[in-house]
Amino acid sequence: MRKIVYILFFMVAAVNAQTKMSSSESATLKAKVKAHATTINTLVSDFTQYKHLDFLSNDIVTSGKLAFKSPNTVKWAYTTPFKYSVLFKNDKLFINDEGKKSDVDLGSNKMFKQLNSLIINSVKGDMFDDNEFDILYFKQELNSEVHFSPKDKEFSKYIKAFHIVFNDEGHVVELKMIEPSEDYTKIVFNNRKINTSLSDAIFAE
Amino acid sequence: MRYLLSSFCLLFLACGSYPKKQNFQVEQDATSIFHNPYFSNATKDYVYKANIEVYDNTFSGIFIVKKLGNSNHRIVFTTEMGNKIFDFSFVEGTFKVNFIIDAMDKAILINILKKDFKVLVEEELSVIKSYSLENTLVHEITIDCKTYFYFKTQQLDKIVRVGHGKEKVTFLFSEISDTIANQIKILHSNIKLNINLKSIN
Repeated sequence: MRKIVYILFFMVAAVNAQTKMSSSESATLKAKVKAHATTINTLVSDFTQYKHLDFLSNDIVTSGKLAFKSPNTVKWAYTTPFKYSVLFKNDKLFINDEGKKSDVDLGSNKMFKQLNSLIINSVKGDMFDDNEFDILYFKQELNSEVHFSPKDKEFSKYIKAFHIVFNDEGHVVELKMIEPSEDYTKIVFNNRKINTSLSDAIFAE
Repeated sequence: MRYLLSSFCLLFLACGSYPKKQNFQVEQDATSIFHNPYFSNATKDYVYKANIEVYDNTFSGIFIVKKLGNSNHRIVFTTEMGNKIFDFSFVEGTFKVNFIIDAMDKAILINILKKDFKVLVEEELSVIKSYSLENTLVHEITIDCKTYFYFKTQQLDKIVRVGHGKEKVTFLFSEISDTIANQIKILHSNIKLNINLKSIN
């Protein structure tokens, strides 16, 4: 009997850990994140990426540094366990794969263009576009979690939903991209610095 | 009929010519079953950084192989950022595409990848004939009607698919520790397709 009480208690606790926001709460969060996003000129952060595939014994863990410069330059640099970076700059995607460089013209590639604006918006947290996503808002203790489900059929073949966790200041602390198969990629941000001066070398092609 | 007969003769001659060309010596007491040691541990996740060069395009990403049971392997290729490019299952001789991006969803390409990856994961192989070449033992093996030669010196370090006496696809295994090949190259000689894998776990 005591066991059942415990189980019930934990079930209630689990449900309580993530509750739906009221419309005024979600409006407050949206306003906070948007206001914060507009103040970002530069952003650097460490990140750890967990690729979860259901059939694997362990998630595949990679890590590196993210750098963003307003309005639309982003660099994801993986440093462990391999060196690989992608730089979105001037409508182009520059890849450096262990020293081997290549580039892709985004002007001709709708998918990459979409990916670029999505990355920038998700880094800033500003993805609140009701035309593009079905959006659900949740509270979890001090943090907030927002679920974005793409409305575009083509897009949703690849990504079923983005789950973004914001801290109480409205900063993105975690981004999860969930595939239709339920496999996902989770990126956790650490050591985030806003509006520090960044050398141009970071964004050199 | 005569044409058919001569075709068979030619085919026979052509097929038989590879070991001869390579100066292989026939081994009399050959083993009947060869065990491919790679990707054979079901408790291990095999994770590689991969480069796939197709004509003038290079796709880089993460290549994952997992043994899920006897004659049951899953092979997935994702971008570095985790987006799936393809996801294949090999179960008891059957092959299934669980997912593939539209840009790669071409029957010809899928068929080539299927053939290549089947060689990586096929474990129990019936040996047709064995040869020796200096310190190397060479086993002739058939997979899906194609002829392969497995080269084993200390470990299995090379597999060659041969057609009409010529090398069509070469699999190179190097930096081998125990039953893990940390470097794998799959090189095609008749089409511009090369796959390079480097272990990252």
